[in-house]
Amino acid sequence: MSAQPVLANPAASPGRKRRRQNSDGLPAALPWIGPVLLLIFAIVIFPAGFMIYNSTREISQSGIDQGSAGFANFADVFTDPNLPRVLLNTVVWVVVVVSLTVLISLALAQFLNKPFPGRTLVRMAVVVPWAASVVMTTTVFYYGLDSNYGIMNAFLVDIGILDSPYGFTKNVIPALGLAIIVAVFVSIPFTAYTLLAGLQAVPEDALEAAKMDGAGRFRTYFSIVLPQLRGALAVAVLINIINVFNNLPILRIITGSIPGYQADTLMTYIFKVLQFDRRVDIASALSVLNFAIVIVIVAAYVKIVKPMKEL
Amino acid sequence: MKKSIRTGMVASVAVAGLMLSSCGFGGGDSGGEEEGSTSLDLLVPSYSDGSRALWEGVIEEFEAANEDISINLQVESWENLESVLNTQIQAGEAPDIYNGGAFSAFATEGLLYTAEEIASPETIADFQESFAANEQVDGTQYALPLLASARALFYNEDLFEEAGVDGPPTTWDELYDAAAAITETGTPGYGMPLGSEEAQGEALIWMAGNGGGFGDESEITVNTPENLEAAEFMKRMIDDGLTQADPGATQRTPMINVFIQGQIGMVYGLPQTVGQIEAENPELNYGLANIPTASGEPATLGVADRLMSFKNDGDKAEAVTAFMDFFFAPENYVEWVSTEGFLPTTISGAEEMSGDETLAPFLEMLPSAVFYPTSNPAWNATDGAFKSLFGQLGQGMEPAEVLEQIQAEADEAAE
Repeated sequence: MSAQPVLANPAASPGRKRRRQNSDGLPAALPWIGPVLLLIFAIVIFPAGFMIYNSTREISQSGIDQGSAGFANFADVFTDPNLPRVLLNTVVWVVVVVSLTVLISLALAQFLNKPFPGRTLVRMAVVVPWAASVVMTTTVFYYGLDSNYGIMNAFLVDIGILDSPYGFTKNVIPALGLAIIVAVFVSIPFTAYTLLAGLQAVPEDALEAAKMDGAGRFRTYFSIVLPQLRGALAVAVLINIINVFNNLPILRIITGSIPGYQADTLMTYIFKVLQFDRRVDIASALSVLNFAIVIVIVAAYVKIVKPMKEL
Repeated sequence: MKKSIRTGMVASVAVAGLMLSSCGFGGGDSGGEEEGSTSLDLLVPSYSDGSRALWEGVIEEFEAANEDISINLQVESWENLESVLNTQIQAGEAPDIYNGGAFSAFATEGLLYTAEEIASPETIADFQESFAANEQVDGTQYALPLLASARALFYNEDLFEEAGVDGPPTTWDELYDAAAAITETGTPGYGMPLGSEEAQGEALIWMAGNGGGFGDESEITVNTPENLEAAEFMKRMIDDGLTQADPGATQRTPMINVFIQGQIGMVYGLPQTVGQIEAENPELNYGLANIPTASGEPATLGVADRLMSFKNDGDKAEAVTAFMDFFFAPENYVEWVSTEGFLPTTISGAEEMSGDETLAPFLEMLPSAVFYPTSNPAWNATDGAFKSLFGQLGQGMEPAEVLEQIQAEADEAAE
């Protein structure tokens, strides 16, 4: 759906004429788009508005609204000593996961674009992590690396890499590292397929022309293929940023048993504030912050990368 | 769909009522009421794998005896219970009967019926006094004590023998030496679960063992010299490698499973750990002893969970009273509490269960039990702070700093 603007842009001037016709037809169109508008209101606008409203209320631990709190909740959030670490974790988490995912997917898409025997099977196999439930995939890793029961831990000990089982999911750095690996693993299918679709749209004749002009493989890739992938890359990166930023299940499962807030991203921190401290108001204020950050990232991305600009 | 079921139920009860009255059975005074059925939502935690079936049995018998009341059972894990409850309260659909721990915050916000409104005087008078007192906020009893539990030291006798440790330790120093000797043999000496599941429990066992505690109904005291000493001793055990790996992120239930497999020397367990060992690894050669303390004076963590009733739209106090009176009658209550492996809170229940041998060591320790300050409104927040922060002790943080952080959260909630 985010691909829409990329495709919708050509022919700007005839669009203007059509738009006028559209506005004439608005009352007529309303019955058709009405249900969708209602749905958007009910599942997007209302919850977001309610979240913002809650962030300015004082709410008791049992969830009873005790009146307006002004911006006190935001003051609490911004003076929270845990916030810097949590934000740092969030940045590292998003940047590392998205870059690794995109780099690996670029290579994978290139590979899947070449004809070779069994390509269909390999393409199918790439979809598997996408088709499987994220919670399930993550839980497999979590138990596999458990220091008491985990078969991956036992295997690492058996082949002599570890002397004794190690609590990968119980220490901050290895747990975050593991969460990053799992996140990359489950993000690759979507990204690789988006890029593969982009690759297939690269015109044969442009590649042929490059070959005729004597461009090497790298030159061809960076000057012809990559610029053509711009639209697909833009979609892949943007959707990945939002997905990874808002990811809860992977981190919740892998880093959930770690005490304190050293391994938390903004998302898991909001969850802990809600679950352990039972502060709906503070959690709402944090969610508004979360929401604002995503909007700023997306706006900055659109501004700097200009994914919608014509080539 | 729920609505149609309810309408259907109302209709069928009404028809049944008509039939009964036309046949001339006056019957019970509640059975013939025109409004028909009352449905009660019951939210309970899962104490064991059998919890659901046990409650279902109680409900089936209750519904058979009270045809105009139906009960919807919802069972949640301890980890999720309070989030589920909070969501329900926010949605205005709080359970009519809730089986949980902390309750004072609900009471002070006026969300709960008082005990008098939800149980007959006979039922209330049957609770042992110390437990009933634990259910009060500002002199009013709100909740009904459902069960009691105490912790005891479970130790693996085979590992003790292998390590050359004579008997169970009674003081911290002996515990330290025993754990060190067992660790020498390659098995963790002491299992210390400081993960979010029950960090507050392990913490209070140790702190009570040094004469400390978490405070009372008016003040939460976490950062005290006694508690700090206890935390420092725990840290020493961790730093010296006498516990399982990563105690800060270890949850209690899986850790006790590891003890049952014979892979840990000593753990603090519950009455039902006895039954669990019997079911899962009867071969395990283990012993039960008092909790070792700093001075050797007995002290342990006591836990009492309770039933309480949230006020919702429509007065359901009468139906709740019917359920409570039914449930706490000895013939129903004793079976429930003994199947779950807990200690009874009623006088009549205690009399019936006094012959039970597996419970004897726990019943013995109950008088020296220290309870959580559940009647303090800031306890909920303190409990949450322990769950998310206390484990940092196992991740290298200084004990003083950990206690300071938890105290800060408690103070903030008390404001």
